[in-house]
Amino acid sequence: MNYKYIGKSYIRPDAINKVTGKAQYLDDIRLPGMLHAAILRPEYAHARIISIDTSEAEKMPGVVKVVTGKECKLHYGDNIKDIVPMADEKVRYIGEPVAAVVADTTLNSQKALEKIKVVYEPLPVYIDARDSMREDAVLIHEENGDYWHLPTLKPQPGTNVANLYHLKKGKGKDGFSEADVVVEGDFLYPFGSCSAIEPHGSIVWFKEDNTIEAWSSSICPFIIRQDLAHSYGLPESDVRVHIPDIGGCFGYKSDITVEQTVAYIASFVPGYPVKWVASRKEDFTSTLLGHGIRMIMKIGAKKDGKLVAMESKVLHSGGAYADTAVNVTIAATHNCTGPYEFDHCDLTGYTVYTNTPPVGAYRGYGHQEAQFATERLMEILARKLGMDSFELREMNYLCEGKVNSLGELMWKTNGDMKACAKKVQNLVFSKESLHEDENFYYGRGFAALMKSPKGAPFSTKGCYIKMNIDGSISINMGGAEVGQGLRTIVQQIAGEALQIPPERIRVYNDIDTQYSPYEWQTIGSMFTTQGGRAIIRAADKLIMVLKQTAAQVLKTDVDYLDYDGEYVFLKNDPSIRVAVPELSRGYITSDGITIGEVAQSVSDARLPRYSNPDHNGQGSLGVEYTFGAQAAEIRIEKKSGKIFVDHFASTFDVGQVINPMQIRGSVMGGVLMAIGATLYEKVEFDQDGKITNPHLFKYHLPTYKEAPQQTVDFIENPGTVGPFGARGIGEHPVIGPAPAILNAIYDAIGIDFFEIPITPEILKQALANKQQKEYA
Amino acid sequence: MVEKISFTINGQLRVVEVDPEMMLIDVIREILNLTGTKRGCDNATCGTCTVVINGKATKSCNTPVSKVAGAEILTVEGLAKGKELHPIQKSISESGAIQCGFCTPGIVMELYGLLENKPDASELEISNSLNKHLCRCTGYEPIKDGALMAQKLIQDRNKH
Repeated sequence: MNYKYIGKSYIRPDAINKVTGKAQYLDDIRLPGMLHAAILRPEYAHARIISIDTSEAEKMPGVVKVVTGKECKLHYGDNIKDIVPMADEKVRYIGEPVAAVVADTTLNSQKALEKIKVVYEPLPVYIDARDSMREDAVLIHEENGDYWHLPTLKPQPGTNVANLYHLKKGKGKDGFSEADVVVEGDFLYPFGSCSAIEPHGSIVWFKEDNTIEAWSSSICPFIIRQDLAHSYGLPESDVRVHIPDIGGCFGYKSDITVEQTVAYIASFVPGYPVKWVASRKEDFTSTLLGHGIRMIMKIGAKKDGKLVAMESKVLHSGGAYADTAVNVTIAATHNCTGPYEFDHCDLTGYTVYTNTPPVGAYRGYGHQEAQFATERLMEILARKLGMDSFELREMNYLCEGKVNSLGELMWKTNGDMKACAKKVQNLVFSKESLHEDENFYYGRGFAALMKSPKGAPFSTKGCYIKMNIDGSISINMGGAEVGQGLRTIVQQIAGEALQIPPERIRVYNDIDTQYSPYEWQTIGSMFTTQGGRAIIRAADKLIMVLKQTAAQVLKTDVDYLDYDGEYVFLKNDPSIRVAVPELSRGYITSDGITIGEVAQSVSDARLPRYSNPDHNGQGSLGVEYTFGAQAAEIRIEKKSGKIFVDHFASTFDVGQVINPMQIRGSVMGGVLMAIGATLYEKVEFDQDGKITNPHLFKYHLPTYKEAPQQTVDFIENPGTVGPFGARGIGEHPVIGPAPAILNAIYDAIGIDFFEIPITPEILKQALANKQQKEYA
Repeated sequence: MVEKISFTINGQLRVVEVDPEMMLIDVIREILNLTGTKRGCDNATCGTCTVVINGKATKSCNTPVSKVAGAEILTVEGLAKGKELHPIQKSISESGAIQCGFCTPGIVMELYGLLENKPDASELEISNSLNKHLCRCTGYEPIKDGALMAQKLIQDRNKH
């Protein structure tokens, strides 16, 4: 298709503000009378609170109020209301809020915090789901099962299992009777941190007029509004939430995280806005972690390579509060088939309470953890069958006419997995492979992938379009800009839909629940797809308003008129026309009498027929898919065991590229993030539940010199949901790197790894073990 | 203990009365309200707090304000001349180097410290400089592109 504004690299509208230091992030906000909070964290990851003495802290300079969780009965959450803003009788993880000081400056609040004395009675600590699932394990929540939860969730009272999700397709486990060959493995994608460069923060202000105003580095203002209104007994309209610029999200600024704690603290000093910004350490210990997923997976296939059955058990160490983890587990469970058709599936996901910070969204949302196992096992299965792994994959890819684990029939418009795989195969595997030399082993590895959004039935996105008097356009939406570049995308889609140049379209800067159209939350790589559809719907309505007014002006019927961005004109005689700006506030006739409506419109869009799971755990839970393929070319240094990713290739069927520069940036950033998870990043706990590396000099994010050369390519096989056929892409690049790199490691040295990260020490040890075995 | 410390920041002479042990980032952000300089970590790892002191890119989160008495400081707010962006700002905003923008001020100041002193810096010197900064969004390639574009603009500007 030939588009005017789609498929071109417009510069982001926020670029200048960001490069001049004028973009306003949460910590840059200053309000009159603002106070600053510091929050005390426990010395134990699981303990009863015996007593808290705040008397010394109260006497410290600048202190306005010292707050504890004593008798705090608030419980909140979007899926399970199991979270407390501040611990009352018990602490369940090392970063939990125990008390807080509100003072005139951050420094004074921190100094006073050191004077609070707490006596604890320690309880057993569980870091891993397997430990807290033991029959004799102490309950982390005695109340498990009593908390309000979504009707689709199944907590297991009397255990530490916060939710059990089960999916059965075909004959389930019995399907293995049809298999000639079975492979299985136990895979671990350990705890990680999204580690956006901007830490979390919030400001909450309980006002004298009995309203609440809040600011947060969050992508879910409407959930915060709903949740605070519920907790404090106010109509939602009396809670106003602002979202300023956000310095990266990658998942962990979704759902409600730190806001309720800051609100609880601020509720003790009505009349004063209270600001809290996480230190980097607190960003690790006291917001959301990612992953913590163990996949125990078994695949059965026919001798010819046809996949028949999959059995998976997802053991998710969900953290001390499970509200944010449950949907990650569910996504990991039903997406663990990867981009393949299995006739029979038996998939079980356990979200398990552990004494670790709550796990929540992390870019990829259960997909990379699950498909890490699938793509490693496919490689192992090919070896066992003596088949070429590309051939094995290709004969099983989901494509038109196939049915995925959820029972959804796949259509051509869902995208072309085979074409993605072929492109990556040609890019990386068509050259001669490099042979081991004096210093290095060389390897290449491949991974195919798919991703669905994991939304919710009500996950809609709204759009309001206003035409200004000069015909320029203002667009307001509720989508959070976290860096992904959605404002540019809004400009381009609206430009195309309205046939108005993007330069004449001004997109909203910040979100304010008082003015912004409703959006559930900006998650699941869904903004372009759903938000874009909402824009097209609103644009169509706006054009209709213009035509209706023009029909009166031109004394004809609406369906005889056409619109080209500049004029509304008669189809059979374009010389009979009226300029669009003249219709913007209705049309003012020569005698001043005005006819027609102001040119404005509102719309929204959600995924078509997205549903809850049925009794088999199936249903329209995916709806929209993006398929892709990725491959790594690596080098392993013999002396150090260090892995260098020299080249990384990705191809996705995104339906339609909207902005080539931005989409390339999204993919490259996602790939590097997942290379971090594969080679460096793991949030480490000691046996007492303390995080031993909660700093960026210990938790190593990939640096400039560790970034591989990347090839990024796209297939454009248009979808039916998104605007101009576009599909989601934000999270997808993180799914393939771990299995692709681990498959490359096998190619290089013949060792199978089942757990990441692969540090030089781990690799050297494995090589030494292998050599020992060979000589023995 | 409070001391009077004076320095020039973005061309303006400023005198602050602060604890001399206070870190420069806190003076810049909390006292002078120049919020373009960001804080991303607790221990001088991420680089987003970088400012230019006497021509040299320096992390402001571990520089006590006492060290900048009499110095000339430049922050990201001081680079553009009115609406005219500095070549580094122009290149970084056009190369795709900006996503969330939180690491951007530090990277811009790092490149300023390097390229304004050494317009012919080698690619290795550029990569050594950029390796001091963490970016979670871009995969770094667009930042490298922006740095190379900026270098060319600065070289061209210096010829005239």
